[in-house]
Amino acid sequence: MTPPDDAILVENLTKTYQVSEREGGFGAAVRSFFKRKYRDVNAVQQVSFQIRKGDVVGFLGPNGAGKTTTLKMLSGLLHPSGGTARVLGFTPWELKSDYLRTMTLVMGQRSRLSWDIPAADSFLLNQAIYRISDADYKRTLAELDELLELAPIMKKPVRNLSLGERMKVELAAGLLHRPQVLFLDEPTIGLDITAQARIRTFLQEYNRLTGATILLTSHYMADVTALCERIIIIHEGRLKYDGGLNELSHKIAPFKLIGVAVGNAASPDLSKYGTPVTNAEDGEKSFIQVRAEDVTQVTARLLADLPVHDISISDPPIEEVIEMAFQG
Amino acid sequence: MLNVYKRLWQVNWAEQWQYRANLVMYLLFWLVSPVVYLAVWTTIARSQGSVGGLTPNDFVTYYMTLLIVDQLTSEITIHIFAYKIQDGTLSGELIRPIHPMLTNTLVNNIAFKALTLMTLVPVWAVLWMLFQPDFSSVTWQGILLALPAVLLGFAVSFLIGATLTCVAFWTTRVWALVEFYWALVVLFSGQFVPLQLMPGIVQQIARFLPFQLYKYFPIELVLGRLSQSEILFGYGMGLFWLLVASLLFRWTWRNGLKQFSAVGA
Repeated sequence: MTPPDDAILVENLTKTYQVSEREGGFGAAVRSFFKRKYRDVNAVQQVSFQIRKGDVVGFLGPNGAGKTTTLKMLSGLLHPSGGTARVLGFTPWELKSDYLRTMTLVMGQRSRLSWDIPAADSFLLNQAIYRISDADYKRTLAELDELLELAPIMKKPVRNLSLGERMKVELAAGLLHRPQVLFLDEPTIGLDITAQARIRTFLQEYNRLTGATILLTSHYMADVTALCERIIIIHEGRLKYDGGLNELSHKIAPFKLIGVAVGNAASPDLSKYGTPVTNAEDGEKSFIQVRAEDVTQVTARLLADLPVHDISISDPPIEEVIEMAFQG
Repeated sequence: MLNVYKRLWQVNWAEQWQYRANLVMYLLFWLVSPVVYLAVWTTIARSQGSVGGLTPNDFVTYYMTLLIVDQLTSEITIHIFAYKIQDGTLSGELIRPIHPMLTNTLVNNIAFKALTLMTLVPVWAVLWMLFQPDFSSVTWQGILLALPAVLLGFAVSFLIGATLTCVAFWTTRVWALVEFYWALVVLFSGQFVPLQLMPGIVQQIARFLPFQLYKYFPIELVLGRLSQSEILFGYGMGLFWLLVASLLFRWTWRNGLKQFSAVGA
C-alpha cells in the first residue's frame, strides 16, 4: 500500500529489451533471415525512488539513459522486466481505467491529437472519454485558456498549428481531466524561448493551483532550474543522483568560476591561477575554474597582479555539473 | 459511454470525409473482382442455361447482394491499427481510459463503411441497369432474418481481424499471416464463387469455418435460398465463432500489450 503522502513509489524497477542486431551488407541480411542474433539492452536497471504528492521532479540524463523508458513504465505503456511501481496506489501497467483517469502523459515529440480536426473537437472527445461534467469542463477549459491563451488556436485543425501552438493544445488536452499526476516527456523541446517560458510558467501555476505531482524529463536546464527543486539523474539505466539541484552542485562540483575583465586589450594568460574555461555567455571576461576553497586566495592574487576592472564569481553552469554527474 | 461513441463518430467521420478521394480509388479497385466474377459467371450460365443449378439471374442477384453484404461485414483494422503498434502511435490511445480497439478502431471501421456504402449506390444502379436482376425471391422476412447474420458476420470478422492485427505486437511479419487469412476468406466465404459450386469436400469444411458468415450465409438468407435446418446451423456456428473470436482477441490483446515496446518516442 502506497503511504498516503507518496504519489509515486518505485522499487528496483528494471527493463531489459531484447534487440535483434545484424551487420550491414547483403550476406548478413540473408543469414539473419534464418537465425536472428539478439542482444540484451538494459534500459533501466534497479531504479528506486519515491515522490510525494505535489512535488515537481526533474528527470535528467543523456540520450538513451532510460528516462523515457522509466516514464513509459510509470504511465503503464510498458511492462517492466523486474521491480515494482505504484502510482497513486495503482500498478500502472495494469492500465486500469481508474488509474488512467487520474494521470496524464504528454510527450513533446509526439502529438496525440487528431491531425485533421480542430483541437476543440479533440477536447470534446476527451471530455466524453474522461467523463468530465459540462460544468467542470467549462471551468477547466477557462483556466487553461487563461494560462495558455488557447482561444485563437482551438478552432484551427491541429495540422495547421505551429509547433509551439501544438504543444499548448497537447498540454491542454492532457489536462482537461485535472489529473493528479503528470508525466511530461520533454514538453518544451523544439519550442522557441517565449513558448518555453510560457509553458514553464503554466506548469508552475498548474502545480500551485491543483497540487498535482509532476515528473518531467528535459534536456533544457532552464526547464529544470525553473520548475524542479529536486532532480533525479539517470545514466545508463542506473540512478546516479536523487536530491536537490543546489546540493548537486555542491556535491559534484565544489568549484567556482571566476571571470575577470582585464584592463589591457590582450587576453591574459590565467593558467597559473586556475583552469581556463570558455564561457559562451560572457564574451567580455576571461574565465577560470578554481576549487571552492581556493576562491578567496585566487581572487586576491588576481586583483593584486592584474589591472582588473570587472570581476565575477559564480557557480559553474548547471549543464556542466550534470555532465560531471553523468560521468560519475 | 454513448457520448464517447458519438464523439468518436464525429471525429472518425470527419477524417473519412477528408480522405474521400483515397476512398473512391480504393472502392474502384475493390469493385473490380466481384463485378468480373458477376460478368464471367453470368456469361457462362447464359451459354449453358445454368451452372450447378444456378441460373444467370441467380448469379446476378448473388453478386449484387454480395457487393452490399461484403461492405457491411468486412473490416479494415489491419490497415488502420497495425502501424500504430509499430511506430508507437498506439501509446496515446493506450493511456486513455477506453479500449483502443473496441472504441476508436471499431468506429473507424463503421465510418469507413458508411462512406463506401454511399459510393456504392450509383455503382449498384448502373449494374441494375446493365444486368436487370430479378429480386423476386427476396422477401422482407428474408431481409429481417439476414440482418442479425450480417451483424454476426461483422462481429466475427472484426474480432478475427483485430486478433490478427495484434500479432503485430510480436512480429513485423504479420502481413504474411493476414494475406493468408484473406486467401482463406476468398475461398471459403463464397466470394470467388457461390459455395454451392465448390467441390463437396470444400463445402463441408466451409460449413464449420467462420468465413461463410462474412458473405455466403447472409447473402443466401437475403435471397431466401436456405432451408430452416441450414439457417439454424448457420446461426449456431456463427455464435460459436463469436465466442471463439472473442476469446482469441482477448488473449492476444492482453498478451500483446505485455510485448509492446512503445518505441517511437
